[in-house]
Formats: sequence, structure tokens, C-alpha cells
Amino acid sequence: MTDEVTIAYEEVYKRFDAPVLSGVSLSVMRGETISILGTSGTGKSVLLKTTIGLITPDRGDVKIEGESVYHSSRTGIRDLRRTVRYVFQYAALFDSLNIHDNVAMGLDPETISGLDKKTLLDRIAKSLEDVNLDPRKVLAKLPAELSGGMRKRVGLARAIVGEPRIILYDEPVTGLDPVNSATVNQLIMSIAERTKVTSIVVTHDVAGALEMSHRVALLDNGKLRFVGSPEEFRRSDDPLVMAFADRDAAARAALKLIEHEIGDEDDEPGSAHAVSIGV
Amino acid sequence: MISILSVPKSIVVAILAGFGRGCMAFSRHVGQISVLIVRIVMAILQGGVSIRMVFAQAYEQGIGSLPLVLVTAVLSGIVTSQQGGYQFSSSVPLYVLGSVVTSSVVLELGPVMTAFVLIGRVGARITAEIGTMAVSEQVDALVSLGRDPVPYLAAPRVIAGMIVTPVLVGVANAVGVLTGLVSARATMGLGPEGFLYGARTYWHSWDLFYSLTKALVFGFMIPVISTHMGLITHGGAEGVGRNTTTSVVFMIITVLVVDATFPPLFLN
Repeated sequence: MTDEVTIAYEEVYKRFDAPVLSGVSLSVMRGETISILGTSGTGKSVLLKTTIGLITPDRGDVKIEGESVYHSSRTGIRDLRRTVRYVFQYAALFDSLNIHDNVAMGLDPETISGLDKKTLLDRIAKSLEDVNLDPRKVLAKLPAELSGGMRKRVGLARAIVGEPRIILYDEPVTGLDPVNSATVNQLIMSIAERTKVTSIVVTHDVAGALEMSHRVALLDNGKLRFVGSPEEFRRSDDPLVMAFADRDAAARAALKLIEHEIGDEDDEPGSAHAVSIGV
Repeated sequence: MISILSVPKSIVVAILAGFGRGCMAFSRHVGQISVLIVRIVMAILQGGVSIRMVFAQAYEQGIGSLPLVLVTAVLSGIVTSQQGGYQFSSSVPLYVLGSVVTSSVVLELGPVMTAFVLIGRVGARITAEIGTMAVSEQVDALVSLGRDPVPYLAAPRVIAGMIVTPVLVGVANAVGVLTGLVSARATMGLGPEGFLYGARTYWHSWDLFYSLTKALVFGFMIPVISTHMGLITHGGAEGVGRNTTTSVVFMIITVLVVDATFPPLFLN
């Protein structure tokens, strides 16, 4: 990891029916792995999608290697996208293409046309081997013929085959059993170590995030509530961070929240409970 | 009589609001489709469309639809011939039936019935297919991989539709007229000579051009609308179902409106 900023989110705002991102600013360093945590619906995936223009922010900017994603020419955005690969939550493999062609989509058309068939096949096979898949067994298959874990790994292979400088992971272990989750997390770590790629991982897997990341960020109500190292995350006395940091704390926080909500209801003058106490 | 003033205000407001929402949605679709058409034309002019994908789509749309187009054409020819014969047998010479069947099939039934087959078989499929890609993030994946969905998904389907539809309409016209001839002979005793004499007497070469031009417009509009509806799909499986239904409705209305616009423009 270096001190050079690779991705800079500058006061990013996004609103759908309600505000989703409310002024998120974050700098990600070259070679860094940063995980973004948060409860469901807090805008983690939206933030990730603003990085490559899949969702356009209402206000603010995102810069990749100093160049604005939203103030570049069409060619500029295309060039920026070439440096970034996005791993989708459910892999988003193309149903009508076999695994060979799916992984080949991770390469630019110019690169594909510049390679002979054998070199292209070798490159695809290598990226499949890098994610612990046997190319001979999967290359000719369609995505529907693979398990969920294998599909995710093909998604990873598609992301790394073009040797990007940045990889964005959108909930890479969602829907996987613990064994497959650990495998995918391990792959993310080994890819980052081997290729020195900058990685942003949106995840609900707190243990995995703390293990694989240089820094962890916690998004809450469209704002960054915490950004720091895994160690700082574990030591934080912020109740929400504590709730994320360990399951017992999460359970206690949930219980507290329920008690608090019951308490609020009790305080309402018209509530049945308040009336009965009043009588 | 109920006065308009006696209708509750809330109902009037609701009706006006519904009308306004409908107009806004219609304008939005028209705007988005216009942008899509411009982008498709740009993609074609820039040569960014894969010929292999155009052929694959043409095969799927053309060969896949041929059996149903043939069935529809056969039935159209028989029905036109039978109904025409029923009306003309008493007062009009029977050979005129050749002209009625030929004109009805070539000017109207061939293009429109083929368009309806393509709406059901091709248009609905395109919307469902691209809609599923949109809700499963495959369209986003394409964009993230630096591929523009327009030359990749929309343009090959539109080019294929414009190649295949006139061919299918040509086949439907020929089969419809032929089965009309056979039906007239079998049930009304009008021989091929009489039928063809009637057909030739009132035939204009322009009619075929008119028929194929209509087919070309249908072959353009059906993939454009279905692709547009697919690309804007959201909301999971329910969204795919909803947009496929809406897409079919839009395509049927468009075909009928285009069909109604053609005679005053080209037949007068």
C-alpha cells in the first residue's frame, strides 16, 4: 500500500425516494484493501456503483487516479473503466455465454483481437486456476451448470483476467456457506497480495472484512460513521461499531433497541399500555 | 342528469392526475426510445455491431418464427377467400375474388399478421431476455466491462428484425395468396386461371412495395420497443413480467397506429 490516492469520493450525494448517500468523502490508497460495512439499505452498493458511473451521484465527484469519472469525455470514462473491474453480488455472468467467453469478456476487445486463440485460452485458463477452478472442467460449461460458489469464482476470474489496477467487490460472499465464504475471502486477499491491486469490498461479513482489509469503513444513514484500521474498529466505543464488531454486542444492541422502542410506545399518551397504567 | 359539478372533487383530481401521469410516462418512453434509436444508428454507422450476432439474431427471429408465420398466412388466405367468395357469389363476378384475396393479403393481412406473430414470439422474448439481464445486473456488468449495451444488445436485434421481417412478410404474402387460390378452387370452383386473371386485373406493383415497406417499419419498431422495455426493467421477476406485458401492449398499439397511418400516406 502506498500514500498515493487511487480513488477519491468527494462529497458524494445520491437520493432515490429518500436520501441514500449524504456527502460521503473517502480516499482509497494505491494497493489498499478497504471494506465498507453497514446495515442493509445504507447505500454501500450505491457508493460502489458511483465509482464507475453505473449510478450517477446527484452531487459530488468520484476521481480515479486523479481523473473525474463524471467530468471526463466518453472515451475518458471508457479508459477509466478499463483500469477498474467490478465483481457483482451474484457474479452477473452472461447466461448465454460459456465460461470461456464469460471470462474473455474481462479483456478489452482490442486485447482479444491482438491475441491468438492459444494465448487467449492460456490467459483465461490461468485466471480460472488463480481462483481454484479447473479450466478443463468448466471452460465449456454455461453459468447455469455451475454452483453458486463456482459462479462467484468465475466472476473473480473475469475481474482479474484483464489485470486491472482496481477491483470493486459488491458483497462477494453473500449467499455462500461459511466454507465457500472463507475461500472467496482468501482469494480476495491472495489476489490483492499478488497483484497489488486496490480493492474496495462491500460486505456484511465482518470477520472476513477485518481479516482481509487494511482499513474498514462503516456507512450509516448515508454517511461514513467510522473509517479506521481493523484494530481501531475492534477497540471503538461507538455503539454501532461495537454492534458490528461482535455478535454478542450486536444481540445486546438489538435488545436495547427493542426495549427503547417499547419504551417509546409506552410513553405515547394514547397507547393501551399507558392507559392501563394510568387507570 | 348528473351534473359534472356533483362529481366529488377528489375523483376529478384523481382522473386528472392519472391522465397527467400517463402523459408523462408516454413522453418519457418516447424520449428514451428516440435516444435509443439515435444510439443504434450511431452504432451501425460506426461499424460497432458484430455481424456474427446479427446473423444469430436473424436466424432466431426468422427461422424460429417461420412455422407460425406460415400457419397464420395459410389461415389468413383461407378465411379471406371464403368470406370474399360468400359475399361476391351472387352479384359480383367470382374472378374478382382473386383481386380481393391478393390485395387483402398483400396490403394488410400479410404484414400485420406477421407483425403480431413477431410481437408474441420475438418482441416478448427480447424484452424478457434483456429485462432478465437488467435485473440480474448483466447489463451493468456489460457497462462495467467497457461494452456499450446498445451495439451489443440492441443494434443486432434491430438489424436482424429489419432484414427478417420483410422476408417473412414476402413469404406470408405468397403463401396467403396461394392458399386463397387453392381454397377458392376447392370450395367455390374458381379455377387458378380465373383467380389469377382477377388478381392481375387489379394488381399494382406499388402494392408489394407498400407491403414490404410496412414490414420494414414493423421490423424496426418491434425490436426497438422490446429492447427499450428490456433495458429499463427493474424490480426482479415481477418487473420482468410487468415490462414484458407492457412491451407487448406498446408493440401492438404501435403496429396498429403505423398500419392506420400507411394508407393515407401511401395509397392516396
